[in-house]
Amino acid sequence: MEALAFTVPALAILGVFVFYPLVRNIIYSFQSFTLSSVTKEWVGLKNYATLFSDKVILTCLKNNILYALISIVIQVGFGLVLAAVLEDVAFRKLAPTLRSIYFIPTVISMTVVCLLFDFIYDPQMGLLNSFLEVIGLEGLTKIWLGSKKTAMYAVIAVSQWQSTGYVAMLFIVAIQKIPHDLYEAAEVDGASKIKRFFYITVPQVRQMFFVTMILTVSGAFTVFNEPYILTGGGPGTATMVLSLHMYQTGFVKNNMGYASTIAMLIFVITAILSSVQFFSFGAEKEER
Amino acid sequence: MKMKKVAALTLAAVMGLSLAACSGGDAGGTQAAGGAKAGAGAGDGQTGVDQVVINFFHRWPNDPKNSMFKELIDQYMKENPNVTINMDCILNDQYKEKIRMVVSTDEVPDIFSSWSGTFAQEMIASGNVTPLNEMFEADTEWSGKIAQASVDGFTFEGQIYGVPWSQDGKVFWYNKKIFADNNIQVPTTWNEFIAVLDTLKAAGYETPVVEGLSDNWAILHYLGTMNQRMVDPEVLAKDYDAATGEFTDPAYVEVLKKWQQLTTYMGDTCVAIDHEAARNNYFATGQAPIMYLQLAEIPHVEKVIPEDFEYGFFNFPAFEEGKGDVNALTGAPEGFMISNKAKYPEECQKFLKWLVSKNGGEALTTQCGDISSVDGAVDETNALPSQLEAMDLIKSASTLAPWFDNACDASVYTVYGQGAQAIATGDETPESVMKQVQEAAASLH
Repeated sequence: MEALAFTVPALAILGVFVFYPLVRNIIYSFQSFTLSSVTKEWVGLKNYATLFSDKVILTCLKNNILYALISIVIQVGFGLVLAAVLEDVAFRKLAPTLRSIYFIPTVISMTVVCLLFDFIYDPQMGLLNSFLEVIGLEGLTKIWLGSKKTAMYAVIAVSQWQSTGYVAMLFIVAIQKIPHDLYEAAEVDGASKIKRFFYITVPQVRQMFFVTMILTVSGAFTVFNEPYILTGGGPGTATMVLSLHMYQTGFVKNNMGYASTIAMLIFVITAILSSVQFFSFGAEKEER
Repeated sequence: MKMKKVAALTLAAVMGLSLAACSGGDAGGTQAAGGAKAGAGAGDGQTGVDQVVINFFHRWPNDPKNSMFKELIDQYMKENPNVTINMDCILNDQYKEKIRMVVSTDEVPDIFSSWSGTFAQEMIASGNVTPLNEMFEADTEWSGKIAQASVDGFTFEGQIYGVPWSQDGKVFWYNKKIFADNNIQVPTTWNEFIAVLDTLKAAGYETPVVEGLSDNWAILHYLGTMNQRMVDPEVLAKDYDAATGEFTDPAYVEVLKKWQQLTTYMGDTCVAIDHEAARNNYFATGQAPIMYLQLAEIPHVEKVIPEDFEYGFFNFPAFEEGKGDVNALTGAPEGFMISNKAKYPEECQKFLKWLVSKNGGEALTTQCGDISSVDGAVDETNALPSQLEAMDLIKSASTLAPWFDNACDASVYTVYGQGAQAIATGDETPESVMKQVQEAAASLH
């Protein structure tokens, strides 16, 4: 009975702020209305038909998947390596300083970071092109945010710069929990540092690996700020992502019904990803 | 065990419901209290002077405009001690979202700012905007000073729904010195314009005309004017109407081809910079001799140009094969609307008449640099020569053609803007973009 009393507040809050809006959104996705319209017109599956014939959605999905893949490789993969290096004995003295340095980007506001990168990518006065010119690689200078080929990668790079330190921090916590005798035993057996990384560190941080995977992947499917501030989805629709498309449909094109339908698509994708997380964790626990 | 779970869930549901009921009751309670308060306020009014409260909502939370409005309102309240004006403001996009949400409800503010064109139509469609014909007819001494072209922007089917406050137009600005050095005359037709660009390019200017194409709206300003100059006005009116738009006229493709031609003069980097960067780093430094700018940008440009920098204006050149009015000026007024739910409509009108006159008009132009809609609000003594020239330009225009993003549905112009951006980067062709525009227009009806 007491257990019940404790769950009620959480249930009520979840109900009001999560489940009720979700149900309303499902209803909205079958309607057609604007922000100022008095009545909502029921249009059945029309919004869903639009969704499946909308070419921009394909661009969005492609970009979101690209975002997810690169985020996994850089944030999770490189973040883990970074964490292992920082936790190595050789870096004992420098580690606290380096940890803070790598973590700093995470605490800077996204808008500030994006404006900063706007300067870095500036084709004329930007740091990146100037740097390339200084080291004699003029041939590689590009109009980073103004070309269909490079814009999406330029946008993705910003998130990598910002979030890798955060993921590395999570891995550091996990590595610190690994019993030290494992490493000592391996060292006695003559295992090299690289071998110790692959045979001790990687298997031991498996749990954290899943957490960071899900964090970065669901982050990649709900990303909004970076493309919104840096490119606004352009040039053309080259850097359009799902949430930006949803925002533009709802608040610029004033088509709230179809925006709700796009929101449903995002919900389905992230729900599938979350269940993957849920079940892989379940499997983990049974193994023990 | 199972029974217990079911019982627990049921109980949770019941408690959840009762909680919802409680909060519902609460809301009712506050509302009642609010009502009582309002009642008390009205009671106070009856005992003393009639206390009038006007809710005023606009989109300029930034200085200098915000403090200008505060000063003006303080002054008005001092002159009219029985009036209290509650001013509220939020910035552009958020303003659009909020006013769209409240305009059709009882929460609609008594006086609120609005753009002309489709945005005004959307406001009027809520049924909560008062027609102001009587206000304009009753006091011709006041209304005669308001620029007619701007009043037209708020007139729909013979009904005037707004009091224009500021006006703006988009023209080419040119660097007078560079034009003189290269013996260039101001062009009046498209071919002359292209010839000027070629001359400038030959003279060593890599970007004879510049624009920050990462800003979609900047592209749309171009396309709006170009469509207006090129396409048959009747066809244009039909296509801009969401219910009948088709965009099948070959003139539209022609416009995008001209756009493609124009972007070749803007340099490689134009697609990666924004409008401000183009203005401040290219036009104001003399790197780019020509730029398409709003007259409202005079104060911004004045801030960044060197002292001996002289600029002149010319209207968008005519297309040789164009069918539109070549004396039209792309631009629009912004103004104020009065809600028909306002408690004191006459007091609202009185305040607006006071504000949109020399009182507010002079402050707007001298303090903020915007072009007032009030004739004679400023003269040589308190305005820049370029501002007076701008006022004359707007006055001499045959009509104000609305901004593209105020003239047609967002679903159409968004595709248009993105497509034109992709044309500039070489990723789309005029034909492929028009096909997408046609699809977007067709999806609206």
